[in-house]
Amino acid sequence: MEGVGINGYLGVGAVLFVCGVVCMATKRNGIGVLMGVELVLNGANVNFVAFSRFGHLGLDGQVAALFVIVMAAAEAAVALAIVLSFYNNHLTVDVDRADELRG
Amino acid sequence: MSASEILNGLIHGDLPRSAEVFGPEIVLCLTVVALLLLRLFSLDRSVPPYVVALFGSLVAFTGVLAQFVYFTTFGGEVGGTPLGMGETLFKLFLLTPEGAGTAGGIFTGLLMHDAFTLFFRLGLTFFLVLVVALTVLTGIPDNEDGPDFYTLLVGSTIGMLVATTANHLLMLFLGVEMMSVPSYVMVGFLKGRRSSSEAALKYVVYGAGTAGVMLYGISLLAGLMGTADFAELGPRLAYLVEGEGVGLSNPNIVASLLAVMMVLVGLAFKLSLVPFHFWCPDAFEGAPAEVGGYLSVASKAAAFALLVRFLLAVTGGQGESLASLNLYIGIALGAIAAVSMTFGNLAAYSQTNVKRLLAYSTIAHAGYMLMAVSAMMVIVNAPASSGWSPARIQVEAARCLEGLMYYLAVYLFMNLAAFAIVALIRNQTFSEEIKDYNGLAHHSGTMTLLCVCMGIALFSLIGLPPFGGFFAKMMIFASVLNAGSIHWTMWALLAIGGLNTIFSVFYYMRVLKAMFIAPRPEESRTLAVPGILGAYVLVITLPILLTGASPLQNNLSATAHYVASVLFP
Repeated sequence: MEGVGINGYLGVGAVLFVCGVVCMATKRNGIGVLMGVELVLNGANVNFVAFSRFGHLGLDGQVAALFVIVMAAAEAAVALAIVLSFYNNHLTVDVDRADELRG
Repeated sequence: MSASEILNGLIHGDLPRSAEVFGPEIVLCLTVVALLLLRLFSLDRSVPPYVVALFGSLVAFTGVLAQFVYFTTFGGEVGGTPLGMGETLFKLFLLTPEGAGTAGGIFTGLLMHDAFTLFFRLGLTFFLVLVVALTVLTGIPDNEDGPDFYTLLVGSTIGMLVATTANHLLMLFLGVEMMSVPSYVMVGFLKGRRSSSEAALKYVVYGAGTAGVMLYGISLLAGLMGTADFAELGPRLAYLVEGEGVGLSNPNIVASLLAVMMVLVGLAFKLSLVPFHFWCPDAFEGAPAEVGGYLSVASKAAAFALLVRFLLAVTGGQGESLASLNLYIGIALGAIAAVSMTFGNLAAYSQTNVKRLLAYSTIAHAGYMLMAVSAMMVIVNAPASSGWSPARIQVEAARCLEGLMYYLAVYLFMNLAAFAIVALIRNQTFSEEIKDYNGLAHHSGTMTLLCVCMGIALFSLIGLPPFGGFFAKMMIFASVLNAGSIHWTMWALLAIGGLNTIFSVFYYMRVLKAMFIAPRPEESRTLAVPGILGAYVLVITLPILLTGASPLQNNLSATAHYVASVLFP
């Protein structure tokens, strides 16, 4: 049977990326914004793996995807901790309510 | 491949050389581990965490310094005999001619070791020592939080060192993330403060977003080029766009241009360039001034090193199409530089909070420094019709980077001095508003000294002679003037830069006017600042004078020139 081919994977990656960016831009919930970031990172990961399977990237792509997964976990931990600290001080996770610093 | 084969390959490959060059970073990693263990075994009551952090960063700095001296005396073309003390240092850090003495990739080419990375590593580790000393004096992490704070500070610096040495797209991403993630936490370090948690939230949301976009760009670029190695990027990009012209009808050009732009988005965020600057004033206002000073200098220096390295990798190939494509990237960077400095200076004008004012000033300064990068891109990609010989292009491009590095060296001291003084004054008056700075210079003793040093730092930020900032700005403006003969937009950029310099005088002067001319409020109590703080501020202010009118100016610019010329063989 004929495989899916690189275009299918890149398409999925691009859709994930766009969904993530839209999610980051429109969500008012801080957690929702972070979910958008995860979508973007995973869109890039799909690209890496697809390029390593069908392109000339070789193992570099696989290793990059692994590193990105680790990095995304670290970033999510830090970001959630910061959102929690924001909640403790403001009793909300609505990013639009983060408007006291301005000028 | 069996495990023993892999181990053998590691040991007989470039691991010994890599470990030798990477030594200072390993020392910093051990410092982090030591700090965490200190907390685990409750030793942080008997051994203050700052002692460990200060010791670790000093060792790392000495290690990089030894490598730098070793490299420039043995590895580089400068030549000369090492001093007696140097000999001991070299032995102590196990430096060998084929290790630290040789330029080239380490860790199978993932990281780069040459004079350029050594210069930035030297500056960053030195800056780490200064910041740790500052936090000891201002006491921003109390003994309870000390291990956490220094873990983050040292960890973030390791990320910056990786970023400055990165020679691979994956390392570029990892470096940027490793320096960003700890700094998100540092911005929100004062947990109970509303403004601090808001600043951290804004920083992390923007930071994570731009990092995601940058990663997507990296995946596209690496996939299109079939490699993530910087050395290979240029030739492959040249091959991809060869003979096609620079039209946007070619999908290869569109995709690779988009990928390069996405990577630049991530770097522009770290540099707080317009339009990715939103986080900068908020993060700096909410964060402690010490953290603001650290982020404004260190993460900018690392991001500039990375930007230069990445852009030179993209320009690495031969071919008319690639050169004209890169010429446009250079001009676009010039436009961003112009917008950044204009916006930064205009927005700083109406600020009432000193930290916020300094944050806008760092945006403007990122713009000035980006001028040098833009000029370099234009010069390196000069079309054949401009009549520039390759030799002249090399010399002039190196001069652009010389200006950038000199600017960063001076900026390290003047911005750190400004933020340190803000932190020290905050400890006395509990305020960072300009109106509360009224008449501070009329207090006696050390407070007057702080005000005078603030004056020197701000005059240098404006770029007035005889301070270091003047010479740094002159170098960058001169290189932009040179680039003007290749493309007229550089002359426009120069004019905008000049106007901005004049305009920036006014808002810096407002701070100084409050300090020196405004009368001291009737009800104010006399502020007694300990002398040791004055001594620290003097130590970081003196280099601003020294990099101005003194023999050191020649030495530093000669070093910067040597380092820059390494990149244009």
